[in-house]
Formats: sequence, structure tokens, C-alpha cells
Amino acid sequence: MTDLSELDRGAAPGAADPVKVLLHRHRELCERAVDPLEIAAGLEAHGITDRTAARFRHRDVFSLAEELYARVPRDADTAADASAAPAREGDRRRSVAVLLLPLLPGTLCAAALIALARTHGQTRLYAAAAGVVAVALALRAALRRGPLALPDALASRSATGSWTCWLLVYAVLGDGLLRTAVAGGPDGLPDGTADGDWPVALAPLLALTLAVAPATWTAGLFLAHARRKLAASRGLEDFAASVRPVLLGAVALFLGALAALVVLCAPFLDAGPVSPAVLALGVLLFVARLLTVHGFTHAPRVILMLTAVAQVLAPATVFAARLPGCAALGAPVEALTAASGPSAVPVLTCGAGALTLLVHASRTLARASAHLRPEQAR
Amino acid sequence: MRIGLLTEGGYPYVGGEGGVWCDRLVRGLDRHEFDVYAFSTGQAQEDAGWVELPPQVQRVRTAPLWVAEEDGVVHGRRARRRFTEHYGELAAALCTAAEPGTAQKPGTAQGPGIAEKPGTAEADRFANALHGLAELARDEGGLVAALRSEQAVRALERACRAPGARRAAREARVSDLLTVADHLERALRPLSLDWYEEDGLGAVDLCHAASGGIAALPGLLARHFFGVPLVVTEYGVRLRTHYLTRPDASPAVRSLLAAFHGLLTAETYRAASYLVPGNAHARRWQERCGADRAKLRTIHPGLDATPFARVGEDRRPEDREKDEKREKQERQEKQERQEKQEHAGPHTLVWFGRVEPAKDLVSLLHAFAEVRAAEPGTRLRIVGRPSGPEGEAYLGHCRALAAQLFPDEADGPHAVGRNPVSFEEPGGPGAETTADVHAGGAVTVLSSVVEGFPVGLIEAMFCGRATVSTDVGAVVEVIGGTGLVVPPRNPRALAEACVSLLRDPERRARLGAAARARALELFSVEQNVAAFRGLYLETVARTPVRRPVLDGAGDPQPFAAPAEAHVPGHWTEPTPRAVPTWAVETPEPVTETVR
Repeated sequence: MTDLSELDRGAAPGAADPVKVLLHRHRELCERAVDPLEIAAGLEAHGITDRTAARFRHRDVFSLAEELYARVPRDADTAADASAAPAREGDRRRSVAVLLLPLLPGTLCAAALIALARTHGQTRLYAAAAGVVAVALALRAALRRGPLALPDALASRSATGSWTCWLLVYAVLGDGLLRTAVAGGPDGLPDGTADGDWPVALAPLLALTLAVAPATWTAGLFLAHARRKLAASRGLEDFAASVRPVLLGAVALFLGALAALVVLCAPFLDAGPVSPAVLALGVLLFVARLLTVHGFTHAPRVILMLTAVAQVLAPATVFAARLPGCAALGAPVEALTAASGPSAVPVLTCGAGALTLLVHASRTLARASAHLRPEQAR
Repeated sequence: MRIGLLTEGGYPYVGGEGGVWCDRLVRGLDRHEFDVYAFSTGQAQEDAGWVELPPQVQRVRTAPLWVAEEDGVVHGRRARRRFTEHYGELAAALCTAAEPGTAQKPGTAQGPGIAEKPGTAEADRFANALHGLAELARDEGGLVAALRSEQAVRALERACRAPGARRAAREARVSDLLTVADHLERALRPLSLDWYEEDGLGAVDLCHAASGGIAALPGLLARHFFGVPLVVTEYGVRLRTHYLTRPDASPAVRSLLAAFHGLLTAETYRAASYLVPGNAHARRWQERCGADRAKLRTIHPGLDATPFARVGEDRRPEDREKDEKREKQERQEKQERQEKQEHAGPHTLVWFGRVEPAKDLVSLLHAFAEVRAAEPGTRLRIVGRPSGPEGEAYLGHCRALAAQLFPDEADGPHAVGRNPVSFEEPGGPGAETTADVHAGGAVTVLSSVVEGFPVGLIEAMFCGRATVSTDVGAVVEVIGGTGLVVPPRNPRALAEACVSLLRDPERRARLGAAARARALELFSVEQNVAAFRGLYLETVARTPVRRPVLDGAGDPQPFAAPAEAHVPGHWTEPTPRAVPTWAVETPEPVTETVR
């Protein structure tokens, strides 16, 4: 700031317009100043005092600054360059490790499933426990940084973890339980196989953990695009209109990636036809996370809770229908299961939740204020 | 009297800006009560803790300005409409405000009379919006969330696109709007504090803001809610600091933020009962930003004179003879001084300060070359630490230059030579204290090209040293006629002044004594504290808090305060006096009678 070699030594002898010399020396300061006081402050920082100003035939620095402010040509074209620069800065910080970290949960989950398939008895139990712990830790690490990371200030406010766990547990055990319940079972606890009395579906789990990677990348894409639009758009309406397609595109991209993963995973686990329930659940979790990361914690929490409760209620009504006189309670779920299989329940619940959240997100994430300092809760 | 001291990142925290000054003030006015309301500026500051507080500090309330503390209140429809209305007004005031520097200019091209009116209208609008937002925060809460909501950004956009908005505001993009909304939210955080209660800022008799800007905001609101008078001290003008330190942003952001800070400053100056600039420079800025001259009271910052007493009094041998008890000590000191003789001497110039390019040591070295030509044997001591990497580089440059300009010289053919220019760090031999540094030289030199309030110069004055300084900042105001002043960046003039002082010990002594007398008179802690004591009394006498007197049931008592209580001075006296006697003699009961 104090570039002293630039300091004015007074007017050159014989110069007709001493202020012009000064203007030339402090051109940058004068051009970027938004009012005369800014020039005055800058001039004072360069050592120009009222006594110096007297040499330019001015009463004080303020009136000298006013003359400079009035005389400098000002063009507003510099604004665009300045605002475009910081938008790209954030992208470069991403390192390879952060880019590849989201692959870790899926890889570990696949390894755990392979270990489960190769072991029996007691060892199998240990392998399952180790696999769950490893995948949980990997998930934690993957969601700790990157575009899906929760800001510190929000960590305490977004208690969506337990509801997410419920949804995942239902995705693994729920369909089997419902099918058995409608048929009159179950007669025992799940034995961890896909063809037992209470079958366990592990394909959704693998697909979802593998989908952490595309989720992170698409969220990153969305963030980068939104930031670019933020810098480029001139009005809030423009911004909303341009961000909404980006959001829907990101969700569609994620959906496509998830569908591909599900199709890829299914044959390896000898699972049946691909259930759209996984897709619905994946989109639900993705949009909920996207909203939470942007500080909208309330809606995801409520929707996740409602979805989980609805899913738990479905088998509960079937069991309740066995009580004498309550047969009517189980009728809707039984009819639904009979019509389109047990996976209709998660498809309906998760699909409804995902749609609600998507509509909510297309309104809230299109607001400019959503992209303002996401570290703070709203 | 109960004084609410408002600080921002300052007083109760260790190492806060202006903390030493506030501490001296609070300790000096031990017959008044102090309530300290402090903003902290970061986690590091909160971790550092507080300084030791004297007993007259009754309570300390702090609020972090660096985190947004939401109360979780969500506004209903009516509160939302109220918020949008007030925030929109605020934004409109920012977008249409005249540029801060030009509002006060009489008779410009806009035509006489017209130029003045829009400014005041904007100021009123701004103040009303500010008060409206504060009332909303007090009634409903949830202001922080509202300030960060989409409504706020939308109101800002509307204001920027409205007809009559200035050009820079019209060009604001969405990211600019977000940045401005973010800054406004930070700046308006003091509005949602719970300080504005009857037992909070409502209970003090006077608010004293230790700086302008955000720190004065609670004072403004206390004045609005309770009529508490406000005194604002500005040792550095916050608006100017804002201009110098603001981040590189687009013109729209800088323009709107400058308007906000300009309007806030103008409103502070308008609402304050008294403004206390620390020097003429701050005073000029305040006048420029619309401060009423009648409200300005310059009170120079005070320095503790006791560390310099020994060096300052040194020159009077007759005093020393009288004081026989200290003779032993004196002898020791004499020995010490003899030891220091190799550093000090009648032909030594001293420069003391932080080494940075603005101090222009190069010019000093060139001047010293001319001094050496006139007075061979003169030495120059440069005592100071470099500030930052820039200072380090500059110090290295100066060392190289000194080695180039002045060859080492020795007393005789068999002695080891040394350079006539010595670079020392404070705390080294012969420079244990600031007083020692000044005592070690005959003349103290200040060669800066940029300077604020020159504390080093005042220290030299306290030490009774003749000084040669450049005409920058508040130097002339400080030195008066008790030292030589030369133009900046003029080594020859500097050299001539130094030589004239070096050749004339009598003049040196005379100037030094005058400088010490002047410093003791104007820049001591005592004068500072006494001036503030007087100012407090004057403020309370002129603009007292009017609190309704309540009866047992809590209803206001009619006629509890007689009408003459509202007249300044005794109404029965023929000539109304500015300061009522009851305020001057016993300041404490003022609160009792008014309550």
C-alpha cells in the first residue's frame, strides 16, 4: 500500500496541470474508488497531507480527492472480471484424495459382501460386524469433506442419521419381513441369506454405498454450476430460473448413475429383478443431504422421519391385523403387496418423500440466499 | 455516575485495541461505576481472557461479533412484513444515499439548498430503519435469521433496481447482493443482543463508545430506547479504516458498504452528545463526515509519564542536590551512564520506532551523511524492530545502505572500528526501556512520510529531548513549537535542522525542557482522565436521561419530576448556567434524583 517510490514530490516545475500528474500516479486508486472519501483515505495513506494539497491549490486533502474523483474516467467493465475470478478458485482446491474418497464405502461394502459369501458360521458373524463397522467409518470419512460435507455449525442440528439408518435397515430387511408377514411368518430371526424364511436383500446396500461416489460428484457439479450462475446472473429471478434446471439435471444424473449401479450389482448377488425402491431411496437420501448441506435442516429431517415411520407402520399393520377384530387394519398393505409385491411399500413411501423433497429443493436451492455461506444454519 | 463503556475488540480483553487507554480511563475515574459492554472479534481473543478489572467495573457483558447466534425464532407473517419494510428502507437509504464525501459540500453543481436536503432525508430514513429493525429484534427476536433470509436479499435487489438508485448499485449482480447482505448481517448483529433492557444499557447514565462504527451501535440504540446520552471517542476514524482495509470486491459491493458505513457514521455523529477525536486529523475527518463542530472536543490520548520521569528530570542538577536520599542511587546511575557512554553521547542522534518503509529511514541515512559532513564524529542509533516481512526487507536494505554510505571508523590505528550508524533492537544494551533509548541521544529524529499520532515523539518529549521531525500526520499538532519540523522527504532540511541542534546545546536544553513541559501538560494520563471526567459531567448535565418515576404499583407518577428539572441550570437564577451545580459538586446523586 505504501509504495513510497510512487509518492508525490509535488508538481513538476512548469507543469500546467499539477493535478494531472497526481492523477497519473494514483490512477489505480482513483479508478477503483467508489467515492471521494476513499480517494482521500488512500492519498493520506500515501503520505499526502493538507500541506501537500495546498501545493495543488486545494484547501485540504478532501477537496483534492474530490477533484481527482471528478476527473478520473470511470468505466464499469472491470466489474465482470472481478466477480468471475473467485468462482473458479474453489474447484482447484479439490485434490485427488478428496475426489477418490467417496469410492471407499462402496469398495469396502463389496469386500465385506465377498467376505460374507466366503465364510460360514461364527466367522461369518464376525465378518458381518467388521464389515458394518468398516463401511460406517468409510461413510463418515467420505462425507466429512467434499461437497456433501456438513459444515461444523450444522453438525448438531441435523439429526437425520438415525432416520437414515432406519431407512437402510428397512431396505435390507423390510421387503423380506413384509413378504413373510403377509404369508403368516416369520418364524425366526433372519439368517443372513437371501432365500431363508426372512430373506435379506444386500444388493440395495451395495448399490447405495457405491452411489456415494456419484452423489458426491454430482453434488460438486451442482455446487460449481450454481456458483458460476451466481456470479453471472444479474437478478434473483434469473438466478432461480437458471439454477432449477441444474438441480433437476444433477438429480437426474445421480438417478441414472444409481440405476446403472443397481443393474451392475444385482447379478453379482444373485438377487432378483432390480427394485425401483433402491432408486427412490437413493434419490431421497441424496436430495435430503443436498438440502441439509445448504443449511435447510428442517424439511429433510421431517420427511425422512415420516418416510421411516410409514415404512415401519406397514409391517406393523400386518401384524396388528392378526389381533382379533383388527383384520381391517392390515387390508391396505396386504392388498398392495398382493397387487405389486412387497417392494411397493418402500417405492411409494420413498418416492413420495423424494418427490416432496425435490419440489422443496427446487424452490429453496434456487434462492440466492441458499448459496450464501453454507456454513450457517437457516 | 454509571457509565456504559462500549468497546469492540478492545478493553476487557488482553491485548485489545485501545485496551490500555480504556484501562487507564477506568482506573482513573474510580468514583464512577463502569459497565463494560464489549464485542469480541475472534476465538483467539476470547481465549486470551480479560485484563484484571478494577472494582469500579460493576459488570461486564460480552458478545461475540464473529459468530451468528440464532435464537431459533421464526417470524410470523406480520413480523416478516415488518422486517421487509424496515430492511427495504435501509437498503433504499444505502442505494440512494449521496456519496459520503460530497453530502456536506455547500454550493456544488447540484445547486444550493437541494444538495443539503436529500442527505438529511436519507439519514433520517437510515436511522428510522435501524431503529425499526432494533425494535423488531427486541419485540420478536429472530433478526439474525431474517437478515440472512431470501427476503433480505430480495429487498436489497428491489432497492438496487429502484429508480433513483446510484449507478454502482444498479449494476449489482446476485453475488454482489449476497456479499452485501452478508456484510449487513454481520454489521447489524448488535441489534439482536439482549442488552437493551431496563437493567442493561437502560440503567446507565451515559454510554461511552470507545470507537466509532459498530461499537457505537449499542449506544445509538440505548439512546433511542432510553434516551441515554452517547459520547463517542475516535482515536482513529472507523470510516477511514473501513476504506483502507476493506476487501477487494466489486464496485457495487464497495459502493453499498461505503454508503452503509458512511450513513452509520453520520448517524452516530448526529446522535452523539459529544464526539471526542484524538487529534486534529480525526477531527477533520469527523467534520467532513457531518459532525457538528459544537459537539467536538479533542482529547489527546495520554501516555504514562512516570517511566520517563528520571530521564526527563535528569537535566536539572539543582533538583538532584536537594534530594540527598537518592544520592546513592544517583551514583549508581552515573556509573551506568558511563557504561552507556559508548552508546550515548552529546553527538548522538536517536531514531526509535517500528522499522517499516513508511518511516523512510533511507531519507534519514542520507540526511545523516550530510550531518556527518558538517559534524564529523556524530553517531546515529536506529532502535526498532521490523514489522512484518516488508519491514524485515526494508531493514536489510537500510543496513546495506548504511554500510555503503559510512565506512567503519576507529578511534586510533590499533582500535577496532565500528560503523557510526548502529542498528539495535529494543531491549538490547543501552536500550532496555524506551526512556533509556531517548536518554542515550542528544536529539531524537523522526523521519516518517506517513504517521498517525506519533507516540514515539511524545515519549521523546517526556524525556525532555529536543526533536527534529517531519511534517506528517499529527506531528505539528503534537510538537507545537517545542521542536524542529522539516518537510518530509527532504534530507537536506533534516540534516540542517539536526546540525543546528547538535551545535547548540543550550537551545537543545531549552527545547527539551519546553517539550517536556508541553507533553506533561497535554499528553499525560492525568489530563486525559480529567478531560473525560469533565466531559462526562458536562454530558450528563446537558443531556440527562429522563426516566419516568414509578410509584409502588409500577405506574408512572405524574409530576414526579418538576418541570424545572428539564431546564438546564437553575430556572430561578437570572442567568441560566450551562452546568447545574448539583451535577458539578456531587455527580453520584444525579441518578438518585432522576430515578
